[in-house]
Amino acid sequence: MNPALLTLFPLLGFVVIGLFGKWLKHEKVIGVVGSGAIFLSFLVAVVLFCDLLQMPEESRSYVSTVYTWIATGSFSVNVAYRVDQLSVLFALIITGVGFLIHVYSIGYMHGDKGFARFFAYLNLFVFMMLNLVMASNFLLTFLGWEGVGLCSYLLIGFWYDRKFEGSFITWTGDAAKKAFIVNRIGDFGVLIAMFMLFNIFGTLDYGEISQHAQGVFSMGDTAVTIITLALFLGCTGKSAQIPLAVWLPDAMAGPTPVSALIHAATMVTSGIFLIARTNVLFALAPATMAIVAGVGIATALIAGTIGLVQNDIKKVLAYSTVSQLGFMFTALGVGAFTAGVFHVMTHAFFKALLFLASGSVIHGMHEEQDVQKMGGLKKYMPVTFATWIIGTFAIAGIPVFSGFFSKDEILWNAYIGGGPILWGIGAIAAFFTAFYMWRLTSLTFFGKERFDHHSVHPHESPVTMTAPLVILAVLSAIGGFVGIPHVIGHLINVPNYIEHWLEPVFSSAQAILPAHVGEYSALEWTLMGISTVVAVSGILLARTFYAAGPERAHQLAARFSLLYKILWNKWYLDELYQMLLVNPIYIASRDFLWKVVDVVVIDGIVNGSARTIAASASILRRLQTGIAQNYALLMMAGIVVLIVIVLYPFFS
Amino acid sequence: MNIQVILFSVFAIGAVASAIATISSRNPVASAMSLVAHFFMLAGLYLTLEAQFVAAVQVLVYAGAIMVLVVFVILLLNLGKEQQLAERGSVIRLTLGSFTAGLFALVIILALVASPTGLNHLAMNAVDIGTTEAIGQSLFTQYLFPFESVSLLLLAALIGAVILAKRSMKEGA
Amino acid sequence: MNFDILGSLPLIVIWLALGVVGIIIQAFVRSDSTRLVYGYYIGTLVTTGLLAAATISNQGTAFGGMVTLGGWAAVFDLLFCGAGVMAMLAAQAYLGRFNSELDEFYTMLVSSVAGMMLMAHARNLVVLFVGIELMSISFYIMAGFFRSRDKSLESAMKYFLLGAFATGFLVYGMALLYGATGTLDYSVMLKVIAAGTARFPVLLALGAVLLTIGLSFKIAAFPFHQWAPDVYEGAPTVVTAFMSTAGKAAAFSAFLAVFGVIMPMVKVASMTPTLQLVLAVISAATMLIGNITAVAQTNVKRMLAYSSVAHAGYMLMGIVAGTTFGQSAVVYYAFAYTFMQLGAFIIVGLLEREDETSLMISDYSGLYRKHGVFAAMMAVFMFSLAGIPPFAGFFGKYMLFYAAIESGFTWLTIVAVASSVISVWFYLGLIVKMYFSEPNPETHEANAGLAGISLAVCTVAVILLGIMPRIITGMLGN
Repeated sequence: MNPALLTLFPLLGFVVIGLFGKWLKHEKVIGVVGSGAIFLSFLVAVVLFCDLLQMPEESRSYVSTVYTWIATGSFSVNVAYRVDQLSVLFALIITGVGFLIHVYSIGYMHGDKGFARFFAYLNLFVFMMLNLVMASNFLLTFLGWEGVGLCSYLLIGFWYDRKFEGSFITWTGDAAKKAFIVNRIGDFGVLIAMFMLFNIFGTLDYGEISQHAQGVFSMGDTAVTIITLALFLGCTGKSAQIPLAVWLPDAMAGPTPVSALIHAATMVTSGIFLIARTNVLFALAPATMAIVAGVGIATALIAGTIGLVQNDIKKVLAYSTVSQLGFMFTALGVGAFTAGVFHVMTHAFFKALLFLASGSVIHGMHEEQDVQKMGGLKKYMPVTFATWIIGTFAIAGIPVFSGFFSKDEILWNAYIGGGPILWGIGAIAAFFTAFYMWRLTSLTFFGKERFDHHSVHPHESPVTMTAPLVILAVLSAIGGFVGIPHVIGHLINVPNYIEHWLEPVFSSAQAILPAHVGEYSALEWTLMGISTVVAVSGILLARTFYAAGPERAHQLAARFSLLYKILWNKWYLDELYQMLLVNPIYIASRDFLWKVVDVVVIDGIVNGSARTIAASASILRRLQTGIAQNYALLMMAGIVVLIVIVLYPFFS
Repeated sequence: MNIQVILFSVFAIGAVASAIATISSRNPVASAMSLVAHFFMLAGLYLTLEAQFVAAVQVLVYAGAIMVLVVFVILLLNLGKEQQLAERGSVIRLTLGSFTAGLFALVIILALVASPTGLNHLAMNAVDIGTTEAIGQSLFTQYLFPFESVSLLLLAALIGAVILAKRSMKEGA
Repeated sequence: MNFDILGSLPLIVIWLALGVVGIIIQAFVRSDSTRLVYGYYIGTLVTTGLLAAATISNQGTAFGGMVTLGGWAAVFDLLFCGAGVMAMLAAQAYLGRFNSELDEFYTMLVSSVAGMMLMAHARNLVVLFVGIELMSISFYIMAGFFRSRDKSLESAMKYFLLGAFATGFLVYGMALLYGATGTLDYSVMLKVIAAGTARFPVLLALGAVLLTIGLSFKIAAFPFHQWAPDVYEGAPTVVTAFMSTAGKAAAFSAFLAVFGVIMPMVKVASMTPTLQLVLAVISAATMLIGNITAVAQTNVKRMLAYSSVAHAGYMLMGIVAGTTFGQSAVVYYAFAYTFMQLGAFIIVGLLEREDETSLMISDYSGLYRKHGVFAAMMAVFMFSLAGIPPFAGFFGKYMLFYAAIESGFTWLTIVAVASSVISVWFYLGLIVKMYFSEPNPETHEANAGLAGISLAVCTVAVILLGIMPRIITGMLGN
């Protein structure tokens, strides 16, 4: 099967809905077209997957060229898709979870005036995301990379007439712009890395670069370190890691299905994908790997602490996403690429589930997002509640649920690859995860009903919304079984499917990285036990705190007011950015380059009082006393400088 | 010091002086007259370079035809002594302007002085180049294309002048 | 002398159409026959463009080595004629609304195209000079075409004064080059320069700098950019649309040819690195100043003007690189830039009202609601200008950046990428206004009319060139 079909359907969906959305009129038609396109794409992904399964293991990777994008001299790039274990896995996640979220959106966006536009954007997003993961070269990935950013931007600002409270932000349009610009800072890194790679390898093809990387770079070369660091800068932007994490919480201004699809399940994991795709380069740069692990674990911890005190249900989930992405980067940083990708998968299931469930809650609560104004919703929304609990157990890492296996794999690898301290911080972050998730659960579904019964009538959502919840809940519950750790697998005689599946992709990187030999099964069992205890205790502690509502927590907050204030203000990261980046540029533009240089220097000082004369004078007069001469003066100065520079060698 | 150097100095100093007089004079007619003088000085310079034809054209076209037009316009607009040209520019601008202009002159002079072979001889066939015949020949053979293209340039300028001078938009449409 | 009739057809056709037939039509037909003149000149440009497209592969020289035929020059012809047609389609309704539709406007527009073609075809500094002046004089007049508007006249006057000032340096540079090498012909000059047998190396260097300065003025590069925002803001919007795109492309076509000649000054006190460095500094400063200043603008035309300054900076990167790849990157970008900037300005012109209002960024709030198609097109142009894939602007930038890296100007690329990040700010600002703001209560009425054709072409081209850049690069490859 031609992999181009994979991207063709979402593109067709986008074009059809985008162009004819107004004529299609009926929401049902639009919804079916939009979801159907993704479903067809999912079928293609399944077929591709089965094709790969039938092939012999060593040849499960091929490139299919669609057409030659550009070819001039030494510079040639194809639009080509690389079908291998990694890309097909991502494609399955994207189209599978994407399809469920599309179906959910039919119910969620019901009655919205931008219904057609919403589905058009979503389909475009899936198209771009598939290009990102299927690409056989950097440039096509970059196309997808920017494209998903574009769709994210359009969808965050989708409800443009709504106010949105965020840091330095008052409405959704600002949030969208912030997300885009922060991402652009990261893209800067990707571009630089791409240029350097092309300069060194003369190609942007992943296969060729990975193949020749070991011959070109020796371990820890400056060049490969810089390239990987630049790539990682892009990953921190797209995957919301410190220092570029600030945009994701504000991206919650978009509709909830968007938060689920883009800002939890797929787009934000493209950073992990990029590192996994270029694993050989990263393996050759131990310094970068250390930084990746450090940044990952720091983000996991810091985002977790912020999540402890936020009251907006979606924002807590956003910080939780940032934190979970931090876990994935930690895994990549210690060389456990498989564990990172595995967590991408399980996280896609349970975080999409949690977001969609929160959307269901918000929907049933008439657009209320503040958990302080909820409570006791269990009896009103049984399906939502049940699925939410499964999602919570999965993310908290309760055994048997999917998150347990993937997170445990990461923590285990953090221990053997990074040492006890890395593991310790990870365990603390995992504890926070369990705590804030149960805090949300308590405040939302248990306890007193703190909402106004006269204006709010909580109700369960329609079946288009609950059906995807149920499917995702099943996946969240059992999805972890594809990656059962060996110590358990030995006992019940089940292999670690996902590790086996992904092994060829990472084999050359693993060959470079230091191997961890030895028999650790006792240690692994111990650590697994500790993580379970950590998860359970986090839930229990949150339960005692919040069982009766937020009052007890308020007392605690009052006692530790300084700490609370820091967490509430998200470690003042936004303030830091505003001060260091945004203000200087704006001041440079408005107050310096424009006002000072253009108006004051050119018009004012040089000219005496040009503007006052100009206002009253005739055209000719204005020109004689106006600013044209000053422009000429500046030109003249420039000319003299240029001549001096060029003639300097002759004079000296 | 030969006669060429003396003549060159006279014309060059005269040209610069009359140019300065053109821009600094506050009486429009005096300014125009200085410009005429400037054109004559340039014509003189051309003569010292053996470019008789260019010198003649300079006098005929610029000092003659064009300046007559300019003076006509000044008279028609009735810009007498009372209505002086612009008020003086600010002192800062004058200073900065002179400074950069001086700097530019300095750099150019330095560049010329630094030229290893110097600039003290004319090309061997300069005498022939300056004649009407030589110019006519090259204009209508080698430089035919740019020469004809200049007619488009003049046409554009002509039409432009007509457009800008039309009184009302509605007349044409 | 062998004479390539077919190859020189584009030049001959536009020359005759403008200088002979057009004048007769305008002189002898009734004075209210604007339509006829309009159609005639559109036909002229279309014919010329088609002839140019047909002669791309027909390379050679003509008129005693004065002009080059086919190749890049023909590709550029296609750009000029295309931009001219698109501007004319937009101009009729625009000028009509402002009660300023004179058939002379179209004459001026075509004569400026003729000037541009001379610039692109020139193989001799005299031809280049005539071309530059023909284009510039037409621009001066078109900029001042709204004679009842102070701003329009002021912009024409400023453009003229500063343009004349810059021309002085340009001619001085040409004279010095002639003095140093004894020729005005590009190919002969290249031989002299490459062999290092120029008589006066200092004058050669000085001439090269002055020529660079003169051309830098035409592309509005720092520090010779000050005129651009004022002129672009004051001129009628369709004129701005045309001169900020085709005019800039023409200047770059000359830049490419001239730098091919004066760059190889290796033997003259190794001038090449110095010249490259000077251009690189100009390029970096231009994009930084253009993009940063644009951030604070509140007038859309002014914002786009500063953005066009910044884009000149990007395009200079290809010249700095000096490689074949860099040159084709410049050509590609000239096309991409023309489509996106022209389209953006045409939309500005459509929304502009007769009393010179509706030009503020705030006037665009909620445009999506009232004019969904315009808003969508504008968004495409903005994204492309900002260099977001898959639009043409991205690919162009990518090629330019790569060309600079390839020639060792990594720092320049870093500056360029950083400044393009800054530029996202204001391009997005406009999109945010159009899409994510409450509509302005005052209604803007706008009818695309013929301009719709231009807009459709621009939009399709911006998308298509991004998906299939080979449309342009392929033309050059063969």
